[in-house]
Amino acid sequence: MYDKKPGIIGHYFHEINRNPNTGTWSWFLHRIAGVVLFLYLFPHFLVTGSYFLTGSTEKFNAWTNFVQTPVFHFLEIFLISAVAFHLLNGLSVTIADFFLMTRKHKAIQWVSIIIFIAVMVLTVVMFVPRVLAH
Amino acid sequence: MDERVSSGGAYGWFLQRITGLFLAFFLIMHLKVLHLTSQWHLDFTVVTDRLHASNWWAVFYILFVPIAVFHGFNGAWGVIEDYRPGIASGKGIKVFLWVVGILLCIYGYLAINALLRKGA
Repeated sequence: MYDKKPGIIGHYFHEINRNPNTGTWSWFLHRIAGVVLFLYLFPHFLVTGSYFLTGSTEKFNAWTNFVQTPVFHFLEIFLISAVAFHLLNGLSVTIADFFLMTRKHKAIQWVSIIIFIAVMVLTVVMFVPRVLAH
Repeated sequence: MDERVSSGGAYGWFLQRITGLFLAFFLIMHLKVLHLTSQWHLDFTVVTDRLHASNWWAVFYILFVPIAVFHGFNGAWGVIEDYRPGIASGKGIKVFLWVVGILLCIYGYLAINALLRKGA
């Protein structure tokens, strides 16, 4: 319990300072990734729905071309990192919760971090040509 | 001081994990088909050809859309809850999230339906 409400951002510094462990960092990054993905949902639905909204295949292609420029492919790397981190960390939390393995949570978390790094190496290798394409 | 809007309790916690497990499957498929793929240029023909290749895509998106939206909005509520909203504002935020979430699901269905039916 807090004596007074910390600020929206101060809240996170407070938690990390008080308990600077793997779990707190995972919680923090899980939240950042979650908020990013939540916000991403809205422009994604707009682009995907551009055919429904306009009835025009040209408009749909204009939007999908716009989001496949090198800048967006570069940003896509961060999008995939958000999905991969949130997904793997979420699975490690769910395994710990459902199989009563909270005492082994740190080990599970390190496994998920290693898989995350492997996924990101693969992603960056796949995305270099897309970012450099014209 | 300790009075707070109902959190939805264990249901919210449990459903977040169940929808999360579904999303692990859906998002790995989604990334594999649309992002981490060797054929990486997407346009209307590529998208609709894929959707028409199998009826399973309709099933896929009928489940994917509401599960993703629920997980996102339930997660957003979890974030808001950390800031301890009062009873009245908490209830207002909950109603707002439900309304926007349901509208987003309906919009998502209409959007995917338009693509599924085109040329089918």
